[in-house]
Amino acid sequence: MGSALLEMRGVSKQFPGVQALKDVSIDLQAGEVLGLVGENGAGKSTLIKILNGDYQMDSGEILINGRQVALRSPSDAAEQGIRVLYQELITLDTLTVAENLLVGHLPTRRGSGLVDWRAANETARAVLRRMNIDLDPRTIVGDLSVHQKQVLEIAKAIQKKATILVMDEPTAALGEEDTRSLFGIIRSLKEQGVGIVYISHRLMEVFEITDRVTVLRDGQKIGTVRTDQANMAQLIGMMVGRQLEEFYPKREIPKGEVLMRVQDLSIKGILDKISFSLRSGEIVGLFGLLGSGRMNVLRALYGLDPYDGGTVTVDGRTVALTTPNGALASSIGYLPIDRKLEGLALSLPVSANITMANIDHIGSGFFYSGKLERQRAQKWVKDVSIRTPDIATEVNSLSGGNQQKIVLAKLLETGSRIFLMNEPTRGIDVGAKVDIYQMMENLCEAGAGIIMISSELPEMLSMADRIIVIARGRIKAEFSRQEASQEKLLAATTL
Amino acid sequence: MADAIQLEPEPAARKKKRLSATLILFLALVGMVAAFAALSKDFYSFLNISTMLTNISFSGIVAGALTMILITGGLDISIGGNIALTSCLVAYLFNLERPVPAWTLIPIAVGLGAAIGAFNGLFITRLDLNPIITTLGTMAVTRGLGYVLTKSRSILIMENVTGFIGRTVIPGIQIPIPLVLMVITYVLLFFLLGKSKFGRKVYCIGANQAAARASGIRVNRVKFILYLISGITASISGLILTGQTAVGMPQHANGVELDVITAVLLGGTALSGGKGEILGTLAGVLILGVLYNGFTMIGFRFVHIRVFQGILLILIVALYELRDRKKA
Repeated sequence: MGSALLEMRGVSKQFPGVQALKDVSIDLQAGEVLGLVGENGAGKSTLIKILNGDYQMDSGEILINGRQVALRSPSDAAEQGIRVLYQELITLDTLTVAENLLVGHLPTRRGSGLVDWRAANETARAVLRRMNIDLDPRTIVGDLSVHQKQVLEIAKAIQKKATILVMDEPTAALGEEDTRSLFGIIRSLKEQGVGIVYISHRLMEVFEITDRVTVLRDGQKIGTVRTDQANMAQLIGMMVGRQLEEFYPKREIPKGEVLMRVQDLSIKGILDKISFSLRSGEIVGLFGLLGSGRMNVLRALYGLDPYDGGTVTVDGRTVALTTPNGALASSIGYLPIDRKLEGLALSLPVSANITMANIDHIGSGFFYSGKLERQRAQKWVKDVSIRTPDIATEVNSLSGGNQQKIVLAKLLETGSRIFLMNEPTRGIDVGAKVDIYQMMENLCEAGAGIIMISSELPEMLSMADRIIVIARGRIKAEFSRQEASQEKLLAATTL
Repeated sequence: MADAIQLEPEPAARKKKRLSATLILFLALVGMVAAFAALSKDFYSFLNISTMLTNISFSGIVAGALTMILITGGLDISIGGNIALTSCLVAYLFNLERPVPAWTLIPIAVGLGAAIGAFNGLFITRLDLNPIITTLGTMAVTRGLGYVLTKSRSILIMENVTGFIGRTVIPGIQIPIPLVLMVITYVLLFFLLGKSKFGRKVYCIGANQAAARASGIRVNRVKFILYLISGITASISGLILTGQTAVGMPQHANGVELDVITAVLLGGTALSGGKGEILGTLAGVLILGVLYNGFTMIGFRFVHIRVFQGILLILIVALYELRDRKKA
């Protein structure tokens, strides 16, 4: 066998107070997909940033096709054919697809030096066609979906002759259908001899798309296994350093009285007469593809978006849900899909975030009680097992899993009994996921009810007591946990 | 079970240094006072200190309210126009053939300020307009109305009924009334921003408005109230200025936005929102007041000070920016 496409040997990196990477070696062959997994803080991002020239390693070497290279900046990396697609895509949203694709190399008219738009669009169209991508070069990129932007970024990388592609959590914001489409593109890139490093918390996907998997933990390489010879439990064991007895700690909890009844909830052009009920002790899953309207249901029920028809009763009483403030007063709490967007005040300390949705009850009358805030925060840090140096720490210095737990603690602090959870475990590590599942079960045991959206099918199938399938703004089917299966759910979305 | 998982230690928390930053500002203030007192013997005279504090109060009162607006990520640059229109309206009403009773002038002025603040607040919250542009428009409208009302002239107030606000002192202890008004304002705002539930909401909105809204905070209501307060404080400053000068004039308080914004930023309030304290602004206001007065005392002219002030503003923003970049 010839030399590997990419080899990183004995890479170490120290940050003040933390050994981020310790003697880590990985290799990637042409036409191979290498999975890179590990909990948050395991060192995946640091490794990738070194490969992209963002960080300099303290020791170790990087070889491309057997030749040692120095990567001092992202442009060095690009020159060596390395392209990293970060989770937060960097596209020029106000420009067109063609401009994004050909940025820096737009064809110009001879003489005038002005951009030759016809040639630009032609070139872009040819590039996209070669990759089997269905995009109009004249579309404004800001109007594209996350997946389309991702595809555009991949096309741009290939256009610039990238041979090593790193994808950091590429499916985090994608629905099932787009994930399929992305995997199709990855497979065709493999055939063209591109080597791909695939980072994901979603182990199901890692099993599906990768050829080998390298596991990192605490900055060290635990091992590399061939995907077809590995199993889920083994991989999780390597990641967390022990066997998890139960990944989905679902308990048998008796269902109580109806907490909330939704009747004919409608939003013009988006939702059409959605009706369902939620009982105490129950987790109801809303399943659907991106754009099906499942998120609109949650947002409307929390008063974030207005609805034009339908009634909602809580404990038998009709409630008007026009503002989040009103929803909270009706005992309805919401866990947003994007913790950085709608969940956290990143520059504020842990304690202020935890009490943020309950300010009116911290202290009496006009005054806010800092002492009570600290007490409440201490309680939740312990109960939800948030790992933080102290409650005065700003949340932006915490890991994704701990941030998510803070959003959950904030929700619990409101004392609500009906919880609307939009992707409760999105982008967090395995250990934190199990903690959150435990919390959800505890809530149900205490008599609360949960409506959950999850694009991770195993999570949906394991945690929800009932699953309601929504497509094109309507309820298409409903399954109990016993009846539901991956095939049935996906089939129902096409009804 | 979760505790068994070994994670990389979180980066050590950076302890909040906010208090010590404010402390440094106050120490700098003491140093400046000492330096100017050494350079000029007039600086340390009772009359000068009293005049200086009166001048500081005029812009200090609005700076307190503006601090809260900046924390939410907003801005109000209509304060100067508001002050000018207040002075014009008071002078106009009192110079009518049949002047309004003197006691009604204060409620009328404050009502005008409140109305201007409410106008800003409505457009900024209900229509979600950019606060800089909205209040820039209001600035033009209010100053313009001042010109209309006075027919572009200055209206003298012969019998200065507002003089007691701008010119008098509390008998016995010799404290100027404007200073008393400023102290009251700062005490109230200190509790409102630093100690109340309302204040917590102000910080939450500044740190992440979408998250604040999703947390049940009535963002529009809070912001509306802040612009209302800003309008009211501007009219109080308008009354002080009218009392000091005994004249209603549309050019009044020209460029006061610069003084006030400089003071708030110097006090450590972040332009990007989410951070700031009333005590910091107090320090900023006092430092600027001492600097202007001190420079005047040692022989600089107003025009030179203006140049210096502009440079200072950019320096302050640059310094805080560099500090934040280092932290990140």
